[in-house]
Amino acid sequence: MMEVLASLENSGFGVWLRESPSIWAYPAVLTLHTIGLGVLVGGNAVLDLRLLGWGRAIPLAPLEKLFPLMWIGFWVNAISGVALFVGDATTKGTTWVFMTKLAIIVVGVVLLLAMRRTVYGRGEHTPMVTPASRALAAASLALWFLAIVTGRYMAYV
Amino acid sequence: MNATLDLFTAWLHGTAISQAIRMTTWLWPLCEILHFFGLSLLIGFAGFFDLRLLGFMKRVPISAAWTLMPWAKAGFALAALTGVTFFIGAPEQYVHNPAFYCKVFFLIVANFNAVYFEAIYRKQVEAKELDLSGPSALKVIGLVSIVSWLFVIYWGRMLPFIGNAF
Repeated sequence: MMEVLASLENSGFGVWLRESPSIWAYPAVLTLHTIGLGVLVGGNAVLDLRLLGWGRAIPLAPLEKLFPLMWIGFWVNAISGVALFVGDATTKGTTWVFMTKLAIIVVGVVLLLAMRRTVYGRGEHTPMVTPASRALAAASLALWFLAIVTGRYMAYV
Repeated sequence: MNATLDLFTAWLHGTAISQAIRMTTWLWPLCEILHFFGLSLLIGFAGFFDLRLLGFMKRVPISAAWTLMPWAKAGFALAALTGVTFFIGAPEQYVHNPAFYCKVFFLIVANFNAVYFEAIYRKQVEAKELDLSGPSALKVIGLVSIVSWLFVIYWGRMLPFIGNAF
């Protein structure tokens, strides 16, 4: 395992990302990771708070368009996240904080899928807020906040 | 000018509150977490409203989208408060950093844009006069908002990489 992580870290890409003085290397990837975070967590927060009772004048149906936006944020971060991991694989790949963050993100994605299913169905019912969707919204808000907590904490391990 | 700035920086660095921020080891990471959470709320809620101004999600009345704007302002307040904490704790990291001034520039643009919107259009939005159609200036305002907030993030991220790094 350690050899795999070390070879990732010492690969041409890993070295470039970590050591290139270009602002298109590490700084640019980190910027993309921050913007993706804002879009995913922010878009999610809009939907969550609507489900929890704020902005009731907003119809639910058009808010389904937030999902493609959230997925864009997610994939920007998945890709930039893999790049950041390769640049620092032996450290990130061996710390529990990173594993915790990954687990939180997996659960967060599952909750997003469940929330879409619960609120919008598969076209078989009009969008609706149920106690289940409210619980999912609250859990989702908390989980993505924890993803930020663990992500920031990684700068200190 | 630089001498005055250095005097100010040295004074701020020496204040009790600046020292307290540096001495409290958990405070900086906590503020970072809240800074990023505030950033997310701001991008999410302001971005949602801006996209609506730009013509996306037309079935959402602008007056309804506007009712969520306090969350964008709360996110901004959280990011601003924690940002000021960083500045007071380590002013020397910022005052000679070009990225900091670029960030402040786009912060001013974004805030001026938001204040301009409220001054000119807020009453009409709340009276639901713009729900069906509005002036194309709203699209410009939405675009300026999104672009300037993204540049705020960009220059914020550049802080440790440009100038006298952290």
